[in-house]
Amino acid sequence: MKLKFLQLALAASLALGAVVPAMAQKKGGDVVIAMTAAPPSLDPHATSAQVARNVNLHIFETLYARDEGARPVPDLATGVTVSPDGLTYVFALRQGVKFHNGKDMTPADVVASLERYRKAGASASLIAAIDTVAATGPNQVTIKLKTVQSTFLGNLSSPRAPIAIMPAEEAAKEMGKAASIGTGPFSFVEYKPDSHIKLARFDGYKPNPAYKERDGFAGAKVVHIDSVTFRFMPEAGARDAAVETGQVQFNEQTDSTTAKRLRGNANFQVISSLPFSAKILKYNMAQGAATDVNFRRAVQMSLNAEEIMGVAYPDNNRIDQSWVYAGSAYHTGRPVFKQDLAGAKASLAKSSYKGEKLTFIVHNDRPTVDAATVMQQQMTAIGINVELKVADWPTTSGIGLKSDQGWNFWTHGFGIEPYEGPASAMSHWVKGQGQRKEDPTIDALFAKFNGEMNVDAQKKMFAEFENRMADEAIATNIGNYGLFQVATSKLKNFKAYRIPRMWGVWLE
Amino acid sequence: MSATTTVQAANAAASAAPGRKSFVRRLFGNRSFVIGLVLVGLIALLALLANVVAPYDPLKGNFRERMLAPNLQHWMGTDHFGRDILSRVLHGARISLQIGFMVALLTGAAGVIIGATAGYFRRTDGVIMRLMDAFMAFPSIILAIAISSVLGASVTNVIIALAIAATPHTARIVRASVMVVREMEYVEAARALGAGHARILLRHVMANAMAPLVVRMTYVFAVAILAEAVLSYIGVGPPPPAPTFGAIIANGRDFIIAAPWITVAPGLAIVACVLGLNLLGDGLRDVLDPRMVVNR
Amino acid sequence: MGRFIVRRLLASIPVLFLVSLITFGLLWLVPGDPASMFLDASATAEALERVRRELGLDRPFLVRMGEWYMRLLQGDLGTSLLLNRSVTSAILERLPVTLSLTMLAFFFAVLIGVAAGVVAAVRHGKAADQGMMTLALLGLSIPEFWLGLVLIWLVAVLVPIFPAGDYVPFFTNPWEWARHIALPTFTLACVQMGFVARMTRSSMLEVLGQDFVRTARAKGLPESYVVVRHGLVNAMVPIVTVMGIMVGGLLGGAVVIEQVFSIPGMGRLIIGAVLSRDFPVIQGGLLFLALIYLMVNIGVDLLYAVIDPRVRLE
Repeated sequence: MKLKFLQLALAASLALGAVVPAMAQKKGGDVVIAMTAAPPSLDPHATSAQVARNVNLHIFETLYARDEGARPVPDLATGVTVSPDGLTYVFALRQGVKFHNGKDMTPADVVASLERYRKAGASASLIAAIDTVAATGPNQVTIKLKTVQSTFLGNLSSPRAPIAIMPAEEAAKEMGKAASIGTGPFSFVEYKPDSHIKLARFDGYKPNPAYKERDGFAGAKVVHIDSVTFRFMPEAGARDAAVETGQVQFNEQTDSTTAKRLRGNANFQVISSLPFSAKILKYNMAQGAATDVNFRRAVQMSLNAEEIMGVAYPDNNRIDQSWVYAGSAYHTGRPVFKQDLAGAKASLAKSSYKGEKLTFIVHNDRPTVDAATVMQQQMTAIGINVELKVADWPTTSGIGLKSDQGWNFWTHGFGIEPYEGPASAMSHWVKGQGQRKEDPTIDALFAKFNGEMNVDAQKKMFAEFENRMADEAIATNIGNYGLFQVATSKLKNFKAYRIPRMWGVWLE
Repeated sequence: MSATTTVQAANAAASAAPGRKSFVRRLFGNRSFVIGLVLVGLIALLALLANVVAPYDPLKGNFRERMLAPNLQHWMGTDHFGRDILSRVLHGARISLQIGFMVALLTGAAGVIIGATAGYFRRTDGVIMRLMDAFMAFPSIILAIAISSVLGASVTNVIIALAIAATPHTARIVRASVMVVREMEYVEAARALGAGHARILLRHVMANAMAPLVVRMTYVFAVAILAEAVLSYIGVGPPPPAPTFGAIIANGRDFIIAAPWITVAPGLAIVACVLGLNLLGDGLRDVLDPRMVVNR
Repeated sequence: MGRFIVRRLLASIPVLFLVSLITFGLLWLVPGDPASMFLDASATAEALERVRRELGLDRPFLVRMGEWYMRLLQGDLGTSLLLNRSVTSAILERLPVTLSLTMLAFFFAVLIGVAAGVVAAVRHGKAADQGMMTLALLGLSIPEFWLGLVLIWLVAVLVPIFPAGDYVPFFTNPWEWARHIALPTFTLACVQMGFVARMTRSSMLEVLGQDFVRTARAKGLPESYVVVRHGLVNAMVPIVTVMGIMVGGLLGGAVVIEQVFSIPGMGRLIIGAVLSRDFPVIQGGLLFLALIYLMVNIGVDLLYAVIDPRVRLE
């Protein structure tokens, strides 16, 4: 019943949000955002960290970008013509787009940026299907693929480690050394390491004429404020304090207690960005007890999703176990698994588990550790002997990405993939990457999906994929959770998205 | 540190202790010692009997009873998992006492071996003390964090990390005592009589270094409890759901406004443990070695 | 004295070298590297390898170690892998924060601790003595980080007198600087205060019981003069002994207090670097801390010589 209220509240605020543009926008003002960490690099091609995206997607733009519904739409391009065999993409580029250094964007810049990303980008595998990229006209770039890839536009527009378009001179520089010169609505002003990054409104920016308003990462990006500063504040308490004292206007991430406390306060607006990520439980199918499907099913049946998400993400979760978020055309709204202790014990008895001690790795983020703790308790209740191993992210991810490091369970967030779409969600389990053992059914489904352009056929394949994941307990999707953010109530027209977008908002 | 040696020399001379008969009586006549003993004894008793005394399972959370303020069913309230905090604190005391005791023991053993070697065998002194200095130049917390990161987080590894951090200082103290006694006449006499190194070390040298060592060990015990709390708080202590004091406090940190009892209770428990041990150490020092420089 | 300083400085070098060796040893053993901080949870092993190559982390460990020492000899501590700045500049920016916090806490701990110890010694056996020593013992027994949290709750959240964290540089706004540094300083000083108080009291008691003090009293000198000029000055030696150890304790405590109060000092720099495996920062930071610790100890020994000429500088 709590969920229903949340949904009603969300619906109400969305409706309200649609009314807002009628209010007068004020120009000017500076917004300071408290961010959880500093970006490891300012080069948009070099990193896929969330905090880097927060900043870089204000400075840079891409050929295609995701709209509010996560669908790929033209941004720096005006459109694309795909050849009947699906191997040639001809992009028409927008005219009169300027870089922050005054230069006009030309096809040469686009080609250079794409080539750079292909060679050494953080998620270069996204566009591994590209065969050649070439400038084929004064406002045209042609990409030839090696094989048909139905998800190519999706990959091209992935915000993960965005395939940002930068001047060819910058693209020629080594990875990590490119200057922050893009085509976006904000230009780079200064970076004080360990302190903040400051961006200013780029007055030479022309919002995309094909759109009337903002739309996801695309749309018409109209900037009303003068500048935005991202301050790095890793301590949650410091961020909360800073927003309450007015030092910052936006806290990128806060917890449910603070959100609850500030909800009634007229000086602040509490934003819940649900769903922001999914919580998943991964099994090491290459070694140890989890090689046995009966064991995995036993574990899956022993879990109580409401309790796990209720403890780890109170007031900010939704028990939705589809591998894409609600709102996507591929969302299956499949029934969630229910805790079944008797069935779990029965399945455990059938399995080859002999009571040996198992290892559950998790990185030291409090909600994640809490979720793991609850899961451990639930597994213990059916007789599984499992111990938590908490370490920092580099250690944990180092162990989990290999099969022979002695781990059996790993839980972490699965955030950007469900947003990007079915292919992205599936790709994590292809060639056994996530579960450490290849599943031929999934690999085959993924290959077919990539070659299939018909959406209905794709939907069927994705549903098959979800069934496979659940039946074989390849990994367990526990539920969605959201991000609590707090802003001053003076910040108008803000709408939560994958990053805190500072275009289309104004300060009263 | 020559000044320390001077003071230690005076202490060693003074602590050629009076008769053994009055020792125990003096010990129990010392108010500090008695209060400390009672406090530590009580806590130790509760901790050892935690399984019996604790009203709830410290690891099991009742989803419907989350974040309850202290009431009749839960004297210290519950945390955000729905776990009873009193039960967790009692079990936490057991873990802390266990860790503290083992750290004191290991540190004592290692400190004696290293310190005695350095103090007695002059040729090894330079190298050993440089090494000890190098370890002491690390803030012990960072050393412990680094070692925990390397070894992984568990009760055993926390013990090892804290013992490594505390040993250099102990070794130094032992060395100082040993160096003073080594030069004394009765040791020279023993050597002249043909006694081997080992015999001299054990009978004469160590007997005299014992007093400051025992006192120091009590303080090490106390400091280990504090240090373990810090490690758990930062996140490199024994992994969840282990109810160590530091872990309970760390869990409570995010809810300090909504549920301050989660943070307050374990902190008070730490204060009680450490206070008791400090009182014990003070009493021991008063009786064993009143003029010893109070070092931690 | 000059020769003494030079000799001690030279003696510090092998210790610093050992410190760096121990650090390398730990870094060699510790699993993980900063590559995973560049990518999100769905990073593939290939992507991680590529980042590792770009960061130069795929070269053999001994090579990287040798390079670090080479650069060190030229006074260069290298560049942080994650902070996008030179290690030296990161340290130099954070160091004053930690030093100011530590020195303020030291100052207050000594001031209040010595005063309390003197009072307790003078009123030996009476209520004031008992009271002060109980408080001192209590202070010693409180975990600093917990005290910090409780104080934040009481006087920063429930009754918002002080800010709950963060740091304002003195030159930006002295009043705000004071407001922000008050709680952390008090928390840090609390534990050491008790230490100093007990030390002072026992040292004072010893001195005040000696003949020359009785003589001074017999001469009719005012009590306060006797206590301070004869008593306290002579009691300083053990107190100074303790000061060197105190600074070690303060530096270690500062590390934790910086976490609790979100103060951008050396402690948070190093802990953050350890948790994200920013190797150059860990190396440089620990070396720097060790250097400070050694410098302080040399200073303390010099202080001995000043206070007590009887102490021979070996």
